Amino acid sequence: MINCLLIKLSHSSRGVLTRSYRTLTSEEITIGRGAECAIHLLDPRLSMHHAVIKRMDDGKIHLVAINGELAVDGVVQKNIELSHGTLVSIGPYQIKVEPAPPDVDIAVSLMLLQRLPDDFQDLKLRTHEPLRGAASFKRRMALWMAAFIALVFIALPLAQNLITSLNQTMAQFPLGFDRVWSPGHVSNAHLHFGSQCFNCHEKLTEQVNDKACVKCHQNTADHIADPALQKRVFNSSGRLSDGMRCAECHREHKAPHPLAKQDNNNCVKCHADIKAVDSKSTLPNVKDFDRSHPEFKLSFIREYAEQPDTTRIDRIPQSTSASVAEQSGLKFPHSQHVGLVQGPNGVMDIRELNCSDCHRGQGKEMRIQAVEFKRDCQSCHANQLQLGLGEKTFSVPHGDEETVMNALIAKAPKDKLRYATSLKENGCAYCHEVLPAKQDDSVPWRVKKVTINQDWFSKAEFNHASHRTQKCEACHQVAQSESSHDVAMPDRKNCLRCHSGNSPKPKRIASSCMSCHSFHNAHLAAPK
Amino acid sequence: MQHSNFFDYKKYRYFKVAVVMILLAFATFLLFEPAVGHYGGSWVGYALGTISAGLVFWMAWYGIRKRRYRSSGTTQAWLSAHIYLGTALTFIATFHSGFHYGLNIHTVTYGLLMIVVISGFFGNYAYMIYPRLMTENMGEDNLDGLLLRIAEADKMARQIALMMPDDINNTVTRACRETSIGIGLLEQLRGFQPDCPTAMAVQELTALGHDLPVEQRKLYRDLYSLMVRRESLVKRARQDLMYRARMGFWLYFHVPFAIALIMAMVAHVLAVFFYW
Repeated sequence: MINCLLIKLSHSSRGVLTRSYRTLTSEEITIGRGAECAIHLLDPRLSMHHAVIKRMDDGKIHLVAINGELAVDGVVQKNIELSHGTLVSIGPYQIKVEPAPPDVDIAVSLMLLQRLPDDFQDLKLRTHEPLRGAASFKRRMALWMAAFIALVFIALPLAQNLITSLNQTMAQFPLGFDRVWSPGHVSNAHLHFGSQCFNCHEKLTEQVNDKACVKCHQNTADHIADPALQKRVFNSSGRLSDGMRCAECHREHKAPHPLAKQDNNNCVKCHADIKAVDSKSTLPNVKDFDRSHPEFKLSFIREYAEQPDTTRIDRIPQSTSASVAEQSGLKFPHSQHVGLVQGPNGVMDIRELNCSDCHRGQGKEMRIQAVEFKRDCQSCHANQLQLGLGEKTFSVPHGDEETVMNALIAKAPKDKLRYATSLKENGCAYCHEVLPAKQDDSVPWRVKKVTINQDWFSKAEFNHASHRTQKCEACHQVAQSESSHDVAMPDRKNCLRCHSGNSPKPKRIASSCMSCHSFHNAHLAAPK
Repeated sequence: MQHSNFFDYKKYRYFKVAVVMILLAFATFLLFEPAVGHYGGSWVGYALGTISAGLVFWMAWYGIRKRRYRSSGTTQAWLSAHIYLGTALTFIATFHSGFHYGLNIHTVTYGLLMIVVISGFFGNYAYMIYPRLMTENMGEDNLDGLLLRIAEADKMARQIALMMPDDINNTVTRACRETSIGIGLLEQLRGFQPDCPTAMAVQELTALGHDLPVEQRKLYRDLYSLMVRRESLVKRARQDLMYRARMGFWLYFHVPFAIALIMAMVAHVLAVFFYW
């Protein structure tokens, strides 16, 4: 049997601590929410039968947990001995063992420490406003992002430009800070230095200067031969927006587009009305290959003192047929060299000749090489150099007149004059134009120097390789040509069958100025 | 149906303006192709870029203007123009880019613009859809009203639960003490809580109600219906928070990214003229 004094401590509405006393006498004193408990506390935080105060076997009074938790100084315990001064938390209440009056076994005080909170206020605490702190979050996010962008995309690239030492440091790395300013891919040719902007962009806020280009491209020539005219035309600011920089036509950062501008606009700016640029110009006006382009002119090598002079070029329009006659020094009927022809051994030797048997293309562009005796003629025309009859037959070498005379002197000293006459009238003259010897000449005849014109269209660049799907005859009609004076170069109409001007036409390829002409060195074009 | 909102303001005036702008920009884009393909540095590119930049600043001005009380023109007109011209801006800026993208400030600017515009579209959608859903969800109530009713239900449930066995009492107490509404951004945007104590309590109560003495049956039924009502109230409160959060959340992107966009645009223009 335990005789227990229960002291209930509570605060009145004025905050004054009040005590109420009750004596409980029972074998066990239960504490809990249940109505049957001796200490009946109506609080949902307590169990129905939370704990019990009972005397243990050793005679001491203990507080023992049943369904609830007991804690001393925050440590959960099952069984607590109640001695003087013990403090136990039981749910929201606190039990303290007080000094017991003599008539009771134990005195405990009970106080509610944690009041049950107000439901609404409590729930409000656990209900958050939508997007709490949104304003400050957005402000911070905006500031950080703007600061990051300002640093990476403005401050660092700018610092690299303004601080020389930083630029030198960054030059050792594959990329500079200013790489982020690059508007597009650098073309393949410039890629090996293109990731460091300062290689071309030498000065901030200035357009790329030609000097940057010329650091590598030293041998690129001007468009016009006369330096004064070149300067006047291309550096005047009126006609072209800001003079003519390399970058006007060569647009970088546009890969995979070609680096050189391919449209006609810049050419036509001047060439549509060339007199406005240079009043003394003899060039015709050109706007478009299809609609406005003069007929082709052929470059002729002129003779000077009866011998051709490659430094004197005449440009003759194709339509003036009277003067269009080649003077190569060769006698050569194309008609006899096409298709089935009779070989050197007469009827026994019929062979078929193609254009490429004598005209051989060379290199990537298949430029046609000049005909050469050894390679292209000798297999059929070796007997033209044979002299003598029967067993005394001998050959003279194909070479200049002195070499031939020396061979004659060596091989037939007695008949050298007769053989020389034979060569003059038949042997050499079979293919060459032969001129009479001059007075006091060491040889009795002279062969006219052979000059094979290899560049009829010297102002344009023709690429045989890109036309190899076509037959030779499609452009060069030689099957009927009886004379080596005939020039078998195609005219503009011939080109226009497949090519159109700046804009494509049905079944015709669009062809700009750049398709045939080159800008740099344009004035240098001449037979080599 | 409202008589007029920012979509059909003045019979779609700004929609028409936007369509005309897009068509003009597209026609220009098609007609003037530089020899090296479309790019922002051609004359057409500069023109489109200048228009885009102007539009961006004008759009940003809307954000400043609506935070002021002194203003010109109705807010509805401004908003209508903001939405439609912002859409047109997307097209014009795309034509300005010439569809060239890379790892540089120019594409960063474009990407930021796209984030701003797309978040704007979401905001647009939110303001079209959610106000109606909010009204449907809340009716005449407001959030505080709901919370009061939940608290009332709490009090009653707890009082009943005092008479009930420990497990039921604990379940109810936990539900009342631990249910939270819209804690954390993710929960607010989702609008529900996967392990909500109230919903769990309702489920547990179903299981715990089986072997009760007869005298507690009635109390249990009252308690159960109270908790179910509480659950639906909590759900509605969460929905309300979700709608309000979603209506504001797109601004997390729209506003800071717009400011970042303006900074990036400055860098973009500076970069062009520094390396001219």
